[in-house]
Amino acid sequence: MKFPFAMLRDFVETRLGPAEVGDLLTMAGFELEGIEQVEGDTVLDIKVTPNRGDGLSVFGLSREVLAKDAEARPTELYERACRRFPMPDDGDEGETGAFASVTIETEDCPRYACRMFRNVPQGDSPEWIQRRLRQAGMRPISLLVDLTNYVMLELGQPLHAFDLDTLAGPEIVVRHARPGERLTTLDGTEHELAPGQMMICDAEKPVAVAGVMGGLETEVTPATMNVLLESANFRNTTVRRTRKQLGLSTEASYRFERSVDPDGVVAALNRFAELLEAVDGGASRVFGVIDRYPGRSDRQPVRLTLARTCRLLGLDVTLDQCRSYLSRLGMEVTEAEGGLLVVPPSWRPDIVREDDLIEEVGRVHGYERIPEVLPQGSTPQGGVSGVYARIDLLKDALLRAGCTQVVSHSLVGTSPLDDPSAERIGPKNPVSADAAWLRSSLLPCLADAARRNGAKDLWLFEEGRTFAMGPSGPEERRRVGIYAQGTLLPDHWRKSDPGRADFFAVKGIVEETLSFLGLEAEWSAGSDPRLHPTRQASVLVGGELAGVVGAIHPDVAQDAGLPDDCVLAELDADRIVRTPVEPRRFRAVSRNPAVRRDVAILIGKDVPYAVIERVVAEAAGDVLERQWLFDVFEGQGIPEGKHSLAIALQLRKFGGNFTDEEANQVRDRVVEALARLGATLR
Amino acid sequence: MPSIETVEREAMEAVAAASSTQELRELEIRFLGKQGVLTGLLRAIGQLPPEEKPRFGQQVNAAKARVQAAIDERERELKRLENAARFERERIDPTMPGRRWRVGRRHVLQATADRIKAVLGGLGFEYLESPELELFRYNFEALNYPPDHPAMDEQDTFYIDDQHLLRTQCTAIQGRVFERRKPPLRVFTIGRTYRNENVDRTHGHTFHQVDCFMVDEGVSMAHLKGTLGQFARSMFGSDVRVRFRPDFFPFVEPGVDYAISCPFCGGSGCAVCKGSGWIELGGAGLVHPNILEAYGIDTDRYSGFAFGLGVERIPMMSHGIDDLRHFLENDLRFLEQFPS
Repeated sequence: MKFPFAMLRDFVETRLGPAEVGDLLTMAGFELEGIEQVEGDTVLDIKVTPNRGDGLSVFGLSREVLAKDAEARPTELYERACRRFPMPDDGDEGETGAFASVTIETEDCPRYACRMFRNVPQGDSPEWIQRRLRQAGMRPISLLVDLTNYVMLELGQPLHAFDLDTLAGPEIVVRHARPGERLTTLDGTEHELAPGQMMICDAEKPVAVAGVMGGLETEVTPATMNVLLESANFRNTTVRRTRKQLGLSTEASYRFERSVDPDGVVAALNRFAELLEAVDGGASRVFGVIDRYPGRSDRQPVRLTLARTCRLLGLDVTLDQCRSYLSRLGMEVTEAEGGLLVVPPSWRPDIVREDDLIEEVGRVHGYERIPEVLPQGSTPQGGVSGVYARIDLLKDALLRAGCTQVVSHSLVGTSPLDDPSAERIGPKNPVSADAAWLRSSLLPCLADAARRNGAKDLWLFEEGRTFAMGPSGPEERRRVGIYAQGTLLPDHWRKSDPGRADFFAVKGIVEETLSFLGLEAEWSAGSDPRLHPTRQASVLVGGELAGVVGAIHPDVAQDAGLPDDCVLAELDADRIVRTPVEPRRFRAVSRNPAVRRDVAILIGKDVPYAVIERVVAEAAGDVLERQWLFDVFEGQGIPEGKHSLAIALQLRKFGGNFTDEEANQVRDRVVEALARLGATLR
Repeated sequence: MPSIETVEREAMEAVAAASSTQELRELEIRFLGKQGVLTGLLRAIGQLPPEEKPRFGQQVNAAKARVQAAIDERERELKRLENAARFERERIDPTMPGRRWRVGRRHVLQATADRIKAVLGGLGFEYLESPELELFRYNFEALNYPPDHPAMDEQDTFYIDDQHLLRTQCTAIQGRVFERRKPPLRVFTIGRTYRNENVDRTHGHTFHQVDCFMVDEGVSMAHLKGTLGQFARSMFGSDVRVRFRPDFFPFVEPGVDYAISCPFCGGSGCAVCKGSGWIELGGAGLVHPNILEAYGIDTDRYSGFAFGLGVERIPMMSHGIDDLRHFLENDLRFLEQFPS
């Protein structure tokens, strides 16, 4: 809401300058958004929150200044505005009633009033009005139009002037549009109207979109002689729906959507008449007001208790202060037991219960007077616990493994790495094609991050939600994705093996991460079409599928613009963090030394290592502390389809040392068991 | 038989001439060992008259002690020289690059969220999360939005279907918590929110928010200010003050916009606070009684406060980041500028 400071000075006498008034309004909840010099005056731009339609006028903001600034005084204009600009013909329809008629056929119009003017002057409005409109960001058009806008700026009540001679009837009917009706609004657009849209009609047809914009045929022109001036109140939801459907937005609709004072309807007609007379010296003839007010409602008093006021604000105010603050805001205040009985004014439909009044008291008293106090009382458990702590642990493990965290958009385009098993979902109203879908997988996001960073060594992970259509509607799921490319360690001048991204490197990260969380993974061959068909695995945690690990499928790599030696993993984080962890019982630590025996075998490549590992464990028994594969060889000297494996066994007894012979016996048992798998000693 | 003096002199000369600790070991054996020359002199003691025996013994032992002392002294010196030579051989240039182990970095938004979690967790608030794919009910209806509120427009909100939308505010968690728990409660969440906006330097369709609220007996605006003050001082520095300004959000009454005194200039005005001395952080207020009542919470007994703020705003402010788009683009040249 923009207005020149001089207009505020019409309503309020204050020693404060424009910037100080701006600050005062800011602290009253009407934020100063801009302050600038325009045509010799300071123009304030004030942001009005949607619950305070009464702030969309200079009069309304003046009220706030008077409430907050104890030294400010109302002007004569302010006093007359409060008395609704009384005119001698108030309550008398006079010739207007004899000539025209008003019928309201919808509940969406609580009040409709109009006043007739004849022999109105043509031409422009006086320079001072034009200047003030320009300062407020409006375009001067003609005397009649400018006066409607000027009164709206002053009082917040939108007005509309019809050329009386173009109205059929002349009759005003406020009703919803009928199917098939059409109206060309004064911006020149022809609209096909639909039921539910509120219209101002004459005896035959719609002539204006109620509360939004007038029609082209009935607008005032330089040739207009006689005017029917409308001042009405329309329900905000209906105005909003209608203007949205018609794609219109005006100063009037903006105000009606945020509420306009229904009791200020006639005051605006009177102020218009007063200003017109001042401009044309009484040349136009002014007739009475037709006023239909079917929506009049009694305002319900709201009780304010002093105890609750002080308790919620966290400071001490007195009953006198409450009474004073609320009266200054135009409320009718009477004393009641333990507090006040308050009738909010007609322009404050936002005040419906006690806490609304408490806000008013606090606002005028000044929030800067609220002290800082830390809450006391029973404190439930604070901090991060449960699954949220486990999610943090999961991320922590990946960071320690050397992966850098990325955070990407959830709204994405289409990628060859989208989850092939998901039915994707997306917003009905996307902003753009590359944000038309919700990600079904984190892998496309990691691929984007990888491409952005080019052909470097990249070890990345992301934790976040993924989305898809589930059996009973759209669902989200928390996942973790890993992307590995190149070497894990940076090149160093002292040469050493930096570790390369391959299936086993990423599998190792996943194993270590799960182990960090106290979980064990089972691995089986995977079948994710995004991954290399023979270099991928499914990860099972607690017997349930919890993710995939694999080298990228070369065709997918090409489509996705990624190197074909990158390795991907995606884990179901929700499942992982919710998998219960077996409680660990302490095991005594043996003080006896360990012995090592190595076994080197030739075995078919089709025998899974998991099977070999299990057979070794079973054959060796409890004394096997640890086993690990330390060499794999195939090629020269090794028969086709076989490979040579070297497995180390670490053996230890509790309360006794191994003799050489005992250790050899364990090894022999292992070799025998492996022989049953088709292994031969090497 | 050589005299004690002769043997001692010979030993002393040999020790002085020794050029390695190894040589000293040999001299020690040669002169002082069980078969050593000085020890050997003691064997001649039998041939001496009885009255000379004690004196001779004392003289030999004194000579052995002197030789031992000389060997020890020489050994320390040689050790010093040997070490000096070794250290010279093993000299490195400590300014050459270290072997960097790759430790992953947290994303700057994660690092910020983790700091917030530590502070609010320390103030007794429990961390919880709720869906990003939220029901219309929790995002708007449960938060006291009047029907037809402009924020519900497709222009502002991403709808997935008639019931589901991408939450526009983390405040959507409140209904889910009130539904399951009874006061007293102190809860906060950090998460991703969405608004249907075109992307530029200061706007995005995806961003992150903190929402923090408590409900208990006698909770007031002063408690809100106290909590925000403590939070702001932990995050931004011990001199920071909090300012309230009336504002409107459907889910709080009274509603405020809160600002902190600029931690960069102390409130005198700088580029970060655009000269105002204050930095607006977010919205806050007392939980609207309509919401508490809707969840069966007795508003005569209980009241609550709530506040929210944007996560991105904090690193933007503290690191001087001028473009919101950096956060979700994952350029390592951006991400690696900030400590984890």
